[in-house]
Amino acid sequence: MSASTESLQSKKRLEGLLSNLALRWRLFKRKYSTYSGLKQLFIRIVMYLLVIGLAFVFIYPFLYMIVNSVMSNADLNSRSVNWLPTEFKFENYSLALDLLNGKKFAINSAKVTIIATIGHVIACSFIGYGFARYNFPGKKILFALVILAFIVPTQTLIIPSYLTYSNISFNGKNCLDSYIPLLVPSFFGFGLRGALYIFLFRQFYLTVPKSLEEAARIDGCGFMKTYWKIVFPLAKATLVVAIVLSVVWHWNDSYEPSIYVKSTAKSFLPPRLKEIIAVANALPDAQEERMRQLGLEGGEDTLNDAVVMAGATVISAPILLFFAFAQSQFMQGIERSGITGE
Amino acid sequence: MEKKKKNKLTLERRNQLKGLVFVLPFIIGVLLFFLYPILFSLRISIASGIKVVGMKLSGWTFEQYKRAFVVDTSFLPEFKDTVIFTLTRFPLTIILSLIIAILLNKDIKGRGLFRVIFFIPFLLGSGEVMQQIVNQGVARAVLNVQDGRIIPYNVLMYFGNSVMNTVQGVFGSLVTILWGSGVQILLFLAGLQSISPSLYEAAKIDGATEWEIFWKVTIPMISPMMLLNIVYTLVDSFTSVDNKLLTYIRSYGFTNMEFSYAAAMSWLYFLFIALVVAIVFGIMKKYMHTNEIEEVRKRERKHRVFTIEKAPRRTFE
Repeated sequence: MSASTESLQSKKRLEGLLSNLALRWRLFKRKYSTYSGLKQLFIRIVMYLLVIGLAFVFIYPFLYMIVNSVMSNADLNSRSVNWLPTEFKFENYSLALDLLNGKKFAINSAKVTIIATIGHVIACSFIGYGFARYNFPGKKILFALVILAFIVPTQTLIIPSYLTYSNISFNGKNCLDSYIPLLVPSFFGFGLRGALYIFLFRQFYLTVPKSLEEAARIDGCGFMKTYWKIVFPLAKATLVVAIVLSVVWHWNDSYEPSIYVKSTAKSFLPPRLKEIIAVANALPDAQEERMRQLGLEGGEDTLNDAVVMAGATVISAPILLFFAFAQSQFMQGIERSGITGE
Repeated sequence: MEKKKKNKLTLERRNQLKGLVFVLPFIIGVLLFFLYPILFSLRISIASGIKVVGMKLSGWTFEQYKRAFVVDTSFLPEFKDTVIFTLTRFPLTIILSLIIAILLNKDIKGRGLFRVIFFIPFLLGSGEVMQQIVNQGVARAVLNVQDGRIIPYNVLMYFGNSVMNTVQGVFGSLVTILWGSGVQILLFLAGLQSISPSLYEAAKIDGATEWEIFWKVTIPMISPMMLLNIVYTLVDSFTSVDNKLLTYIRSYGFTNMEFSYAAAMSWLYFLFIALVVAIVFGIMKKYMHTNEIEEVRKRERKHRVFTIEKAPRRTFE
């Protein structure tokens, strides 16, 4: 009994589905049977082709990196293997990890990235609010300085900064041996593109209705409390955008660290890729020597571009994972942040 | 009466002080991390003697600036290369990213996925990883016209090798431009999202075609974002890691330890960037759409008619 009811139900569902499809087909026909409808269909098809083609171009480096990271030497050199390796060679990864020797460097990178991002977000939202809401003498000049700070390349400032930092010591340690040059400026709205975040937050706060703060003030809320409890939580969308941009830029930055951070023990993960490249491009003898130093057995086809790509994957994996988590929030943030650039 | 006036004044004062509290970190930052180094850099560039330990500078000389223009034979060519490289690339970046942003703003299926895909090259970054991928010749391989897959070999033969190489080079740089336009696409997308749909509706009711809507609604409304994007692209390109001139300057500053000369060169470079950005601002300001009130004011100034009452700008309190 129950079986027959079930079959009846499924039959009904199927019928419903079919009629739905038929209806859709009829609608489709009606929509696209006229000349203008046909034109629209054509435009849509072209649009999809364009988007898919462009998407291919954009995802190419990522796919290339992933696919090549599991290729064996034979696959790399063969002309017939483009996308699907004949065998998945995951040893590349263990080799890359050994060469990167990256735990310490990954922690360094993560530490600096997180602290600098926190600094950026707190300081820049704070400063942006001041620019968006209050009038004070010299506001125009200060805002012009924000734009100027955005325009001036780090490279112009790096020589005097380097000279200054090299002459400052904290607790008996030279500044250049610590992360101070990288971290402290971000807490004052500077550092890696700090001015951009000030601009973004200011842009957002301009769109917040003033009545909100007025209501808070009437209820006896002080201006700092108004900022922290009422305005700052509203900026969530912009916050996510700023966090994502800051994290990605800090993780990938290699210019400032290469100058400010001298000791190898304190260096970061991404520059370690050079280590792998250096070994991969070295002459066979030198390569074997280096492998022996690391306590690995050198084979004929162990070190090649595939290992380099495996290393690249390892280095960019944290960022990709982070973005995978933040992605939906981030895209919403872009839509809602009210950035108009005015 | 007098008391009231005094009260109002203090309120204004208090608000000014509140504003200054918010901007205080920036003021400190600007003094410590911006004005001080930039003036120091100027001082280094015109110092005749320099001691790194203890930072002793002495004397005045413009020798270093003269050296850049007169003595050094590779500074000006490098400079020219960098400028040409940037100025040819940035219009393409802007146009392509605007097109992509418009496509992504359209009602297409899987829009969220596409947006993520278009952001991936940015995540891989302009740093080591992307550099390595580009070094392996991937940029040229994406739109490979030479391997006979898109265009058959017979046709390729007809064109000859040198033509094909040029075409391939153009495609290769086009691909790198696309890869570097993630942020620009996002900014444009944000700008497009902020355009009110009622404007489009009004335009459609008035009988405007898609093409007209694009030029008369989308472009003016997005023009402020265009300015931000142009400035961002210019600055990004002028300061990118693989910039030839900056590598050159760096080689003087940190390898040869000729701080004065490096500082002089970077000052020249900075002045040039500021000039370019100022020109862009100047041009864009004329054509940029700001907000409604400003637009009407602009028109008033132009045609000397008065349509709205000139109200003072509203500020907080």
